[in-house]
Amino acid sequence: MKLQESFSAALLNPRTPPPTGIVGYNDDIDRRFAVYSNNVQSGLINALATSYPVVAQLVGEAFFQAMAQMFIQKYPPDSPVMSTYGSQFAGFINSFAPARSVPYLADVARLERLCVQAFHAADICAVNPGLLTQALDNPEGLAQLHLQLHPGVASLQSPYAIAALWAAHQSLGQIQGLNPRQPQSVLVLRNELRVEVFTVSSGCAVFVHLLKGGNTLGLAAGHALEADPDFDLGQALALLISHNTITGLQPTHEALP
Amino acid sequence: MNSKTTRTLSAAALALALGSALSIAALPAQAAGDMEKCFGVAMKGHNDCAAGAGTTCAGTAKTDNQANAWKLVPKGTCEKTASSTSPTGFGQMAAFKAKS
Amino acid sequence: MMHSPLASLIAPPAPQLPPRAGLGLKAEHFVDVLETRPDVGFFEVHAENYMVAGGPFHHYLGLISDLYPLSIHGVGLSIGGESPLNGEHLQRLRTLLNRYQPQMFSEHLAWSSHGGVFLNDLLPLRYDTATLQRVCAHMDQAQDVLQRQILLENPATYIEFDAADFDEAEFIREVISRSGCGLLLDVNNVYVSCINHGREPLAYIDALPLRAVAEIHLAGFAEEADSFGERLLIDNHGAPIDQAVWALYRQVLKRTGPMATLIERDNHLPPLTELVQEARLADRCLLNAQVQP
Repeated sequence: MKLQESFSAALLNPRTPPPTGIVGYNDDIDRRFAVYSNNVQSGLINALATSYPVVAQLVGEAFFQAMAQMFIQKYPPDSPVMSTYGSQFAGFINSFAPARSVPYLADVARLERLCVQAFHAADICAVNPGLLTQALDNPEGLAQLHLQLHPGVASLQSPYAIAALWAAHQSLGQIQGLNPRQPQSVLVLRNELRVEVFTVSSGCAVFVHLLKGGNTLGLAAGHALEADPDFDLGQALALLISHNTITGLQPTHEALP
Repeated sequence: MNSKTTRTLSAAALALALGSALSIAALPAQAAGDMEKCFGVAMKGHNDCAAGAGTTCAGTAKTDNQANAWKLVPKGTCEKTASSTSPTGFGQMAAFKAKS
Repeated sequence: MMHSPLASLIAPPAPQLPPRAGLGLKAEHFVDVLETRPDVGFFEVHAENYMVAGGPFHHYLGLISDLYPLSIHGVGLSIGGESPLNGEHLQRLRTLLNRYQPQMFSEHLAWSSHGGVFLNDLLPLRYDTATLQRVCAHMDQAQDVLQRQILLENPATYIEFDAADFDEAEFIREVISRSGCGLLLDVNNVYVSCINHGREPLAYIDALPLRAVAEIHLAGFAEEADSFGERLLIDNHGAPIDQAVWALYRQVLKRTGPMATLIERDNHLPPLTELVQEARLADRCLLNAQVQP
């Protein structure tokens, strides 16, 4: 086996012995090799903790480290860009038996991943609201309108109070007495340089999800109403417009003579 | 699934919604945000070239955790999250055996 | 346009960092840097943190790189890897360097990826002929794609390999002479490695091709002991620079003359002002630096 093959195997699984051919200043090779395996383990755990700070707080440091270590063995990074590392973490948590006493943990992880994605999403300017006003000149065309959303926009529906749990860890709410069984839908977006997280109606979450999927305004609004009879289209659009998330319109009225 | 509502969303209803959205969005920021609060997020860099907290003791502790995964119990803020609707509470300490 | 014969003989000046102390730029300090505009010679960033589409990292680096010279330091190319270089990563680097046009780009004499897995650490190389050929081939490929000279940084190591054909300084000398790369001399790494392997730091430095040095790194380490009670130093960038490393740095400057010097701090990040104070100390050494005849 090539040297780096056995070296990396030993780094990823701390119970694998160091490769042969290593020499040190003295016979304490294990201790010196352990510096590397500890660096690899703690470096990857820290990268996950940076992306999932609320998950880490919810379960405590010891639990998070152990859970992260098992995740790392199953899903080591495949890219040197560590901000993308851990996209399978929520799915892993879902199937991680010791975390079952915290059933909302996987959805909190999903929310935190959306925040990281929004934070680093491309910089695309919002359309001038004047273009939307022009679209009103042709009411019959509105149903067929495509609204392009900023790449940082995402929605998530959960049977748990993930937004409240998340907010309580940004010193914006109380964790004590919070009822995690309350279903919540969230909207994540980046407005200028800030990532913002909103609790929204389930209809709004469906609406945003469908717009993101490239569906027309008419179809997205219709399905949102089906999913949630209380869905308020005006309010959902106001939220998107006022936070600079609508980045394009098709067909646009500019294209008309 | 009832798809009738999709068809009943008339051009007039869409125009009304977009019109009201534009007028809400034109108001000062506070007014549009009255539906819910918003929260900022700060992030640090994920990559560095330093040896991490990879000291020998930290690594040993992590290895022990892994070996004893079956007795892992969440001990963070979830312990404080007692549900008012669930008499047994939520995120309470409870031992679970992991599948090996 | 007319060119005088003389002008065509003068090559455009190679972009260089000023011979001053610079700081590693951390996201936690973006706003402080812009508000206080500290008097430092340059900033350095880790390339991989800026391999994102947009958002605050690019926003602030754009503003700060308009105000200060910039050095970009890669941590993920795995130049010493047995696996081929990650072509996608190399293209990301090219995009980043084209966008910011930094005065300097550097990487490590180490490996960090194997078989498609990124290990997120700078791992040690066996200094044999096969490794030398591989490192040189990877350096040629990277310098070709990036269209610029790369500075290669000497590593901090905790173990070594038997069956080596070169010592580390010889190996570095060979890579530099064959690939034409420059040397990023990390004085803390020299000290950490020499203590860990029972060597004399100054002898190691004198064995290096010091004419190729184009930047210096200084940082703090953590100290442990192995089971024999021997010092085991860990390059954790988590403390102020050690007195022994300052002393070694002054010896280095006597040999190289004033040289762009980065103060690195990645763990236990203090307020910006504390790092600026450390940069002042380095600037003072730079002022006193005299090249020995």
